[in-house]
Amino acid sequence: MQALHTAATGMAAQELNVQVISNNIANLRTTGFKKQTAAFQDLIYEHVRRVGAQASDQGTIVPVGVDIGGGVKTVGTPRSMTQGTLSQTGNDLDLAVSGEGFFKILMPDGTYQYTRDGTFQMDNQGRVVTAQGNPVQPTITIPNNASGLAVNEQGQVSVTLPGSSTSTVLGQIGLTRFINKAGLQPVGSNQFTETPSSGPPQDGTANSEGYGKITQGSLEQANVDVVSEMSDLIAAQRAYEMNAKVISAADQMMQSTTALFR
Amino acid sequence: MQNALLIGLSRQMTLERQMDVIANNVANANTNGFKADHSLFEEYLNSNAREDNFVGSDRRVSYVQDRGTFRDVGQGPMEETKNPLDVAISGNAFFAVQANGAERYTRDGKFTLSSTGQLVTSDGNLVLGTGGPITFQPTDHDINIAPDGTITVLEGTAKTDSIRGKIRMVSFDDPAKLSKLGANLYSAGSATQQADTKSTAQQGYIEKSNVNAVGEMSRMVEVMRSYTAIANLLQQQSDLHKSAIEKLADVPA
Repeated sequence: MQALHTAATGMAAQELNVQVISNNIANLRTTGFKKQTAAFQDLIYEHVRRVGAQASDQGTIVPVGVDIGGGVKTVGTPRSMTQGTLSQTGNDLDLAVSGEGFFKILMPDGTYQYTRDGTFQMDNQGRVVTAQGNPVQPTITIPNNASGLAVNEQGQVSVTLPGSSTSTVLGQIGLTRFINKAGLQPVGSNQFTETPSSGPPQDGTANSEGYGKITQGSLEQANVDVVSEMSDLIAAQRAYEMNAKVISAADQMMQSTTALFR
Repeated sequence: MQNALLIGLSRQMTLERQMDVIANNVANANTNGFKADHSLFEEYLNSNAREDNFVGSDRRVSYVQDRGTFRDVGQGPMEETKNPLDVAISGNAFFAVQANGAERYTRDGKFTLSSTGQLVTSDGNLVLGTGGPITFQPTDHDINIAPDGTITVLEGTAKTDSIRGKIRMVSFDDPAKLSKLGANLYSAGSATQQADTKSTAQQGYIEKSNVNAVGEMSRMVEVMRSYTAIANLLQQQSDLHKSAIEKLADVPA
């Protein structure tokens, strides 16, 4: 009976849906996290009676066919790249991007990764680094006797050095855009890598040409909306139950047949 | 004498297929833009017996057969996603997409951009505009999709909108003639299409599946019960045969 297999694909799809939703909820408080939604598609149809087939010698044709679908498949878990709300922390090195753009991070192996999580710190050499200790690009080294660290909307980092009354610009934190940022591959630790579907990275300056501006002393919250996640979770659970009901109904039907003529 | 068995069998076969259709609807309860299918049945009359020298006239035997599955093309509920590239159609229109070199139609408006900046479906199929595929420039931002499908963006530092294309929405004289291909795609088949001006595109929304869960569940119970009832009928018919054979063969000593 096809219904059994069809319902099984439905249960598998809803199981994955719950996994995606639970990951969103688990990352509710993750800085710079972007939520995912599972997207589904129907499977190919078996045409038991093909539409448009000839129905009689007089040439009448079947107006509607008998098409039986084989269930559902997951096509992807696209990421919703909408802006998260900014929350103020007051830390000088907490940076948030409002608008497009990712911070570019140099990994120990020489490759680059991209993040929206601007929880930066200073390492023992005075470099601005991520929570994992990887330097933000371009690398900015803050002298240990500097005070009054300021980062403006363009990403320019300036400090006041001892014996000087004006501030000195140390460098500028860049932002990177992708034509299809939803196509970036998550690698954990709030970071992404480029993929063939994201397109090549386009390095640029914050607050110019739609790159988004940098806000010092704030962090971007996850763009997860708890209420909608909870309602999606309930919908997924109910859909799972319905598929399970279909399996038990199909099972009962088969049982009534096998019980015949004993 | 076997007619009751055969009629019962014809009904069971159609019920089984109806169950498959219900299972597919339920499995796609969370599929974007999915339209539910329902089964149609018709009576299938068997021809009269050729022998006509009976005392009474021969009676016709009617079987059941599934004539077709018709599609509920009703609007699915809209879910707000806030994604600028999610588009839902309110109305009867379909999006035109290019899949495997042919033009296909879909109601699933979960679009993204490809690495070359073209508007594509979740499967990577090109979404067609009135003037072909829609391509964005690398510096485009603030994408806006108007209710008529016109896509405007701000390019680079520009303060005025640039038009990137217009999503093609088409409607069909008879949407029931569209045939489902899977992957949320339809092929036009014999249906004729025209540009749709009544439907509107809603940016930031996704049309969910229009499967009615309560309806499907009650139909499922109905199918299951009729199937079991016919199984019982077949059992009784078989018992009748059995007892007839036993009684008739029971020769008194």
